[in-house]
Amino acid sequence: MAEYDLTALMAAQLDRHLVFPLLEFLQEQQLYPDGEILEAKIRLLNGTNMVDYAMDIHKSLHGTEDVPADMVARRSEVLARLKSLDAAAAPIVAFLQNPQLVQELRPDKQYNIHMLQERFQIGPDQIEALYQYAKFQFECGNYSGAADYLYQYRALCTNSERSVSALWGKLAAEILMQNWDVALEELNRLKEIIDSKNFSSPLNQLQNRIWLMHWALFIFFNHENGRNGIIDLFFQDRYLNAIQTNAPHLLRYLATAVVVNKRRRNMLKELIKVIQQEQHSYKDPITEFLECLYVNYDFDGAQQKLLQCEQVILNDPFLGKRIQEGNFITVPLRDEFLENARLFIFETYCRIHRCIDISMLAGKLNMNYDETESWIMNLVKSSKLDARIDSVSGTLIMTTTPVNVHEQIIENLKGLNMRTDMLAKNIVEPAQAAQQAAR
Amino acid sequence: MKTATKHPALARVSSGILSRPNSPDLAAAAAAPELQSLGPVGVKEQPLTMSSSRFWTQGDSDSEEEEEELESEQGSDSDDNGGHDDGKRSKVQNRYLRTEDDDSDESDSGHRVVRSLRDKRNEEMKSIVDQMRNAMKINDWVSLQESFEKLNKHLEKVARVNESTEVPRMYIKALVLLEDFLAEALANKRKMSSSNSKAFNAMRQKLKKNNKQYEDQIQKCREHPESFEEDNADGKDADEDEEEDEDSDAEIEDPEKIAADSDEGEESGEDEPWVKKLTKKDKLMDKQLLKDPSEITWDIVDKKLKEIVASRGKKGTGRIERVEQLTFLTRVAKTPAQKLEILFHVISAQFDVNPSLLGHMPVNVWKKCVDNMLLVLDILQQYPNIVVDTTVEPDEKETQKGADYNGTIHVTGDLVAFLERLDSEFFKTLQCTDPYTKDYVLRLRDEPLFLVVAQNVQDYLERIGNLKAAAKVALRRVELVYYKPQEVYDAMRKLAEQTEDSGEDGDAEAGDEHQAVDDNRGPPPFVVIPEVVPRKPTFPDSGRVMMDGLMSLIYKYGDERTKARAMLCDIYHHAISDEFAVARDLLLMSHLQDGVQLMDISSQILFNRVMAQLGLCAFKAGLITEAHGCLTELYSTGRVKELLAQGVQQSRYHEKTPEQERLERRRQMPYHMHINLELLEATHLICAMLIEVPNMAASTYDKRRPMSKTFRRLLEVSERQTFVGPPENVRDHVMAATRALNKGDHQKAFSVISSLEIWKLLRNKEHVLEMLKLRIKEEALRTYLFSYSSCYESLSLGQLTTMFDLSESHVHGVVSKMMIQEELHASWDQPTSCIVFHSVDQTRLQGLLFQMADKLSVLVESNERAYEAKTGGTLEGVPPRRRGDGQDSSNFGKWQENFVSSQGRQGGNRSGYSGGRGGGSGQGGGYQRNDRGSQGSRGGYGGSRFQDGRGRNQSGSSSRGGDGIARMVSLNRAVRV
Repeated sequence: MAEYDLTALMAAQLDRHLVFPLLEFLQEQQLYPDGEILEAKIRLLNGTNMVDYAMDIHKSLHGTEDVPADMVARRSEVLARLKSLDAAAAPIVAFLQNPQLVQELRPDKQYNIHMLQERFQIGPDQIEALYQYAKFQFECGNYSGAADYLYQYRALCTNSERSVSALWGKLAAEILMQNWDVALEELNRLKEIIDSKNFSSPLNQLQNRIWLMHWALFIFFNHENGRNGIIDLFFQDRYLNAIQTNAPHLLRYLATAVVVNKRRRNMLKELIKVIQQEQHSYKDPITEFLECLYVNYDFDGAQQKLLQCEQVILNDPFLGKRIQEGNFITVPLRDEFLENARLFIFETYCRIHRCIDISMLAGKLNMNYDETESWIMNLVKSSKLDARIDSVSGTLIMTTTPVNVHEQIIENLKGLNMRTDMLAKNIVEPAQAAQQAAR
Repeated sequence: MKTATKHPALARVSSGILSRPNSPDLAAAAAAPELQSLGPVGVKEQPLTMSSSRFWTQGDSDSEEEEEELESEQGSDSDDNGGHDDGKRSKVQNRYLRTEDDDSDESDSGHRVVRSLRDKRNEEMKSIVDQMRNAMKINDWVSLQESFEKLNKHLEKVARVNESTEVPRMYIKALVLLEDFLAEALANKRKMSSSNSKAFNAMRQKLKKNNKQYEDQIQKCREHPESFEEDNADGKDADEDEEEDEDSDAEIEDPEKIAADSDEGEESGEDEPWVKKLTKKDKLMDKQLLKDPSEITWDIVDKKLKEIVASRGKKGTGRIERVEQLTFLTRVAKTPAQKLEILFHVISAQFDVNPSLLGHMPVNVWKKCVDNMLLVLDILQQYPNIVVDTTVEPDEKETQKGADYNGTIHVTGDLVAFLERLDSEFFKTLQCTDPYTKDYVLRLRDEPLFLVVAQNVQDYLERIGNLKAAAKVALRRVELVYYKPQEVYDAMRKLAEQTEDSGEDGDAEAGDEHQAVDDNRGPPPFVVIPEVVPRKPTFPDSGRVMMDGLMSLIYKYGDERTKARAMLCDIYHHAISDEFAVARDLLLMSHLQDGVQLMDISSQILFNRVMAQLGLCAFKAGLITEAHGCLTELYSTGRVKELLAQGVQQSRYHEKTPEQERLERRRQMPYHMHINLELLEATHLICAMLIEVPNMAASTYDKRRPMSKTFRRLLEVSERQTFVGPPENVRDHVMAATRALNKGDHQKAFSVISSLEIWKLLRNKEHVLEMLKLRIKEEALRTYLFSYSSCYESLSLGQLTTMFDLSESHVHGVVSKMMIQEELHASWDQPTSCIVFHSVDQTRLQGLLFQMADKLSVLVESNERAYEAKTGGTLEGVPPRRRGDGQDSSNFGKWQENFVSSQGRQGGNRSGYSGGRGGGSGQGGGYQRNDRGSQGSRGGYGGSRFQDGRGRNQSGSSSRGGDGIARMVSLNRAVRV
């Protein structure tokens, strides 16, 4: 299943720290040899300040207690830098740690800066130091500290560029701390900025959007309202364009979200259009499943793809999230996906059939006969399906009631009368009122 | 031979003049016989003298000149004696007088006389004066007037021949005569005919005007009639004397200036005028004379250059001569900068060789021009301190700075302009050459030559950091490569390598020869430039790589037009490499089709070519609708040839002015760039057939808008034919296939189509035909079902598979699709695997009613929209209801719903399947359209996410993908001239 693994594509658009969860997941899945993943982790860590962690991994990878000299050197370097930054940011950190003083800050930035300068001798240099300090904390893996500092920094800073990068940092920190609600807020804030800001080039903006979408995946597949969120965000024209231009692999997540989300069924058609357009640049079992079902009406093909889909979902870090309930480990998304996909197949199948053999249906749905029968019964009972089961011959017979043409025409015309009436009234009334006023 | 010996200076001068083929004097001389023929004297010998004088200069000029040399000394001696002394003058004149008589004697006796041009002129003048005298005698003012005018005209010629401003005395005398006669006539007031009196009056006025100019001389003449009284020859002779004076003066001065050549001091005197009257021979001599390089200074060369440059466009300067002169100058240039400057002039002079816009530069000149360009690049490479630009006005003496000068030297010139001109000349040659001749192929072989120059120029520009210009050059290179499929590209590469191999020897030899010739002809060049710039092009392995490299440069630095063109070329190249998806994405993302109307015509043509190629590419990939979308607009006007600039189409209704025709001819694509029109037409028609035939079968009642009007029209025409013969051209074939397909006979349809010749043009013929076969079967199946479904209660899958030779799953897929899209009112009976048809077909009346309902709802909607637009507000009461409906249909819960509602036709939902919600979802569809229209005016209303989503969906999808494709051929209205 490694061929459907998107980690390499995703990692390019993510922050270093955000790649860790993905690697952790891969390690659990055993898709790749352990050594390779550990190697990748060390390489990843080399860019950060989490030297101790890197050392641990190194030890476990090579099974030795020795640590390469450069790592040791780097460690001391990091510590030295930490100290210097600590010192530089000390005044403002001290100020911020005093809740009473923080109370005195007002929404007015100019006032705050002025006040800090006057009373605490905290000038732009210290504020800048705060930013550096926060960044350093983030690099060290101290996400909560970084998030706090960055929050404060945003309240104080006047440089909009810096403010945006602080926001990115905050978002990453919140994601890594799994504060999904806060992260979602930050995400929306960032999105507003990206959409409203004048970028130097459209290309830059596009890149920002793509980053945002990738980062958002963490939130959307963990937050309870994320499934609506992902559809809302990704189907926005500009974001859909971005997906089509530079990141078609995101279609997997969009497709999954649409399939899983019962209330957004109406997006399916547009999704399929996009999938068809992009089929030359990206395809995986999930998109192919939809294509089989809604473009080619190839039910057997859809069936096979569905089997592959399950594997893809299980091996995807975002989709294959596991939840432990007692002794069972379930992958909720997989179950939902399969259920809905089954329903899709069945729906489409029923629409073009008058009479279906239930045992055949059972095969198509990957269920046994009795299960299928009760499943269908439930559908019929909840009046979702207009059909009857012929138990003797083991078939499902759809009841089709051809529409009366007269009714149909009358139905079509019914609204028109009322609407025209309304229109006329709306036009005449003001005119009459004007006449009366004239009199 | 006396004349010749007697007037050596004169003879020499005139010989020089005559030797210029294009000189106006010669033309005048050629015209002379006509004039002469009126006169009584010298009618017969005139042509003789003409030819003889020409012969004289060409043939034995050497001996002649020697004689001249001898004589000139005598002549100058005599001049010294006679020219300045009035007293002795008459004696000298008498001598000439006598010779003149001798001459005339000789001519009378029919001997061949060699006379100089000046003699001739004077004689002509004399004859005219004689004519005038005769006319006076009979008082014929009409002919007098004519003669007078002729005389005036002739005066100019004579003045030119004599090269003096002095008016011949003969002329003045004639004027005096005329004046007297006029006064006399005025006094006498003789009776005259009306025409005569008219001429008389006109003459009187003209003479008055004319005489004002010569008042002095006339006065003089009246005072000393005796000095004018002598025979006409006097005037001439006097002139000659003066002339000789001048010449001898020059001779005396010039040798001082350039005294290097002791043996040919005479000739060196002509250093100044040699430029003007250079024959090949003369030039050769000049080169010899300049053998000693030390004698030539920068100033001399510079002066000469300016002179030659100033002569540009003047009458009588031969274009080819100019090039030769300049080329010679490049050899004697003193500094590299000067050499460069002269080379620039050479190149532009070479471009001047062909003056007309329609014709093209001669091929050999073009090649020389290429060499010169390379030489220029060599110099630039060798001396990096020389900067070529157009912005800085260079110093007078800028080019005097030698090779060892350290600072930058500015030379005016524009390499890019030269290169572009070179390219367009190459293009023009190909346009003008008959593509079926060998010339064309030979010419095509020169392409690598140009690519070398372009590559080097681009390299140079990149080196000096002028990336904008480099982008322009890159575009030129792209435009030579973009239409070449990989095979052709490989061939070009191989050719370039071959020419390099064989050219190595050939070139070397030629070079040696060249060198040898040069050595013979003149001094070796002062500034020797080694060949630093590579002389053979380097090609990447595949055209794609080359394109990519050039593209990235252009996208980064090119201006708008360059980028747009490059983008089109890129798309074209992708399309011929069968990468439809890439090409389509590029086209859609670049939004080129929005602005194509505003582009220049050649870019529009390029765009049309891109669309055509994209269509072919889509067809090869089996994307019939896309292909049709690309091609249909090209064919909707019936002017494909014109739109693709592949030949001129004669239109019945539309006469073109010659101007337009000429313009159009200039835009034509060279043959090797053509897109095969037959293939294009076949592709278009087949696509139209595959789409249109089922469409026609489906809509027997309601006349749905035809997908392809062109195809429908053709079909109607072919159906009107009484007898249907075997198909001959592409169109016939497709029509025959259409007839077969209409009946559901896929085998015949395919065999007709596959019998077309053009398929062999395709690279993957087998594959395409296979695809075509499948598509034809599919469409045959669909057509069959549309046409005959009403006759069946049920149909088994097996029967269909055997009928149409398709696999079961394929048939199942096709039929299922039709059911889902409600094209077919039927459903499967799974256990027996057969199709059961529902008898939901409407009667005609019902169908019409549905149509009416549709139209009414459209009407109401447009009313509402108009109201909203007018008032800016919404219709109270209606929107909430609408919104409720919309949400209803989305929340319906019935799982069949949503898909159908978005797929079904808007407005009327005639499906037989899930009747309960037919109305609801139908309305939903209608509103959806409405929402989109009113979204702008209803800012605060968009509370419902669903509706917003809908509206957006629509606008979004129309800007992307399939719809976009259909939209994208919105071009070429502007192309029509």
